[in-house]
Amino acid sequence: MKLTITLAVGALALSTLAAGAQEAPPSRTGEDIFAQRCVFCHDARGWGTRSLARRTPPDQAELLEREVLPEILVRHAVRRGIGSMPQFTPTEISDAELDALARWLATRNAD
Amino acid sequence: MSAPLPPGTSQAALDAALEAFRAAVGPQWVFTSEADRASYLDPFSIGDPDAHATAAAVAPANTDQLAQVLAAANAHKVPVWPVSMGKNLAYGTAAPALRGTVVLDLKRMNRIVEINEDLGYAVVEPGVSYFDFKAELDRRQSNLWMSGAAHSWGSVMGNALEHGVGYTPYGIHAETICGMEVMLADGTLVRTGFGAIEGSQEWQAFKWPFGPNWDGVFTQSNFAVVTKLGLWLMPQPEGMAGFTISVPAKGDLARLVDTLRPLRLDDTINATYTIANAWRQSTGGAQRSDLWQGEGAIPEEVVTRRLAERGRGWWNVIFNVFDHVPGGIDLRIDKINRHFAAHFPQASIEHTRWVKGEPQQAWMRQDVSLAPFGIVDWRGSPGGHSDFGPVVAAVGSRVTQVYELIERRFLEHGLDPWVGMFGMGGRALIFVADMLYKRDDPEMTAACQRLFRTLCREVSAMGVGLYRSHITFMDDAEAMHTWNAQDGQGALPALNERLKACLDPNNILAPGKQGIGSARA
Repeated sequence: MKLTITLAVGALALSTLAAGAQEAPPSRTGEDIFAQRCVFCHDARGWGTRSLARRTPPDQAELLEREVLPEILVRHAVRRGIGSMPQFTPTEISDAELDALARWLATRNAD
Repeated sequence: MSAPLPPGTSQAALDAALEAFRAAVGPQWVFTSEADRASYLDPFSIGDPDAHATAAAVAPANTDQLAQVLAAANAHKVPVWPVSMGKNLAYGTAAPALRGTVVLDLKRMNRIVEINEDLGYAVVEPGVSYFDFKAELDRRQSNLWMSGAAHSWGSVMGNALEHGVGYTPYGIHAETICGMEVMLADGTLVRTGFGAIEGSQEWQAFKWPFGPNWDGVFTQSNFAVVTKLGLWLMPQPEGMAGFTISVPAKGDLARLVDTLRPLRLDDTINATYTIANAWRQSTGGAQRSDLWQGEGAIPEEVVTRRLAERGRGWWNVIFNVFDHVPGGIDLRIDKINRHFAAHFPQASIEHTRWVKGEPQQAWMRQDVSLAPFGIVDWRGSPGGHSDFGPVVAAVGSRVTQVYELIERRFLEHGLDPWVGMFGMGGRALIFVADMLYKRDDPEMTAACQRLFRTLCREVSAMGVGLYRSHITFMDDAEAMHTWNAQDGQGALPALNERLKACLDPNNILAPGKQGIGSARA
């Protein structure tokens, strides 16, 4: 799994993924955003989880169960889409909110 | 990837417009970075997404800001492409028809202005999704039911404006529209119908005002920006039944359509029915590689064998029926069973039943959904889909003729003919012949484009038109409207162009939408 993630992150255009440092603090927490935007596909039975199950190690398809989920991968997937997942615009998830979401997922999964 | 210029626009004009947009909405709501522009690309593009890239996006929060944005767009002749939730997946998502057009993102205008329990209607702004709307109905413990779209990320308003469909008696969403507030290209705010009367309490109560009804003119068009929309909502029924009807042979389609028609026409079946062909049925719970690892489309004998293994017929119909009288649902169930027993005894019929007070079940389709995403990567990841959608009279022989053409051409182009036919109202079916493709396979996406354009020509020769199309094909779909052509342009497209030139002389609103204004851009 680590090899897969390393390759995915290596393919990202790092310079375009700078955090929204100049924005006001997000009004929603990372957990709020996950519940409002992500969970419909990425809960245990969502289509995103089923799709990821075809290309991740066992028990790693559900994002909330993922052992390693780098912030940069979340930012890339949300803003540019990944695989068959459509992207989200900054009016749906602002840069600051995306930072909060990525941090929440990364730290939550690191616990 | 460098930012494209809008059609007919210089860099200086674009820069001046962007400055004016920033002054209107605040700099944080004008998006020009490469990453932000990429987020407005079509995620299911049929070929290179850059063909429909935007120069920028601007997101007003209210009609005052919208008026300022349109004033700047006019002043600098920079076209804008209004989107509501920007989730018109399979038809272009938020991307503009003409490359470089600035996306006018209306997601911040997201108020549910009113839900009227007594009269059964709602008034919504563009940025209200089905998720938001269902949550508000639930919060209020409303007696009114939503007619949802296939995926709930979409805008309640946007789906109705694009002639989207649902699966309740209110499932032809455009027909539930009652009253709009629109902003014309010059910034004038207009309310249609009885909304034009000061202090009206009838704006959403009756569709036919003194004078013309304009609501239809602002659907699938680019004559104005719709800022508020009234929609009728169905009161909760007393009972529902969900039917599954299977018929055995490929040659049964005409008889099936002719058997369903009188039941749909007299409203016994009072919601959309869906007929699925063998390929469409074969995807349930399967990966494509489970069925077929060979080249090209999955052969007919493979899907036929799979259906036989599962004990299913070549055609499958699903629909729900609704009744507002206690016990009435059982009368409908009985009538449908008797009708099929008399006219199509070979059909296999199953039904399930619900009455008010019982827990809701998945087949009732009353919950939010993202079900269509289950099929997106049928051909592999990154996947995409878009459909060829002719509207065909509900006459078995004609439906069969169009179906057979579509199936043949899909197979010739190496694409699985994944076809559903939706019985909208009693008199017509909307075909959804879904092209499922791998987005990073240029040969496959090129085949989709050839297939779509071939079918446009061929069904047009049969006198058939489309209900909707991906942005790639809007000019092709418009060109099918050839009746009473003069100088190579049909009378209806010519009328649309005359109206467009009158209402939007600078062609700033969504040039190319349904083919309108693309020639002038």
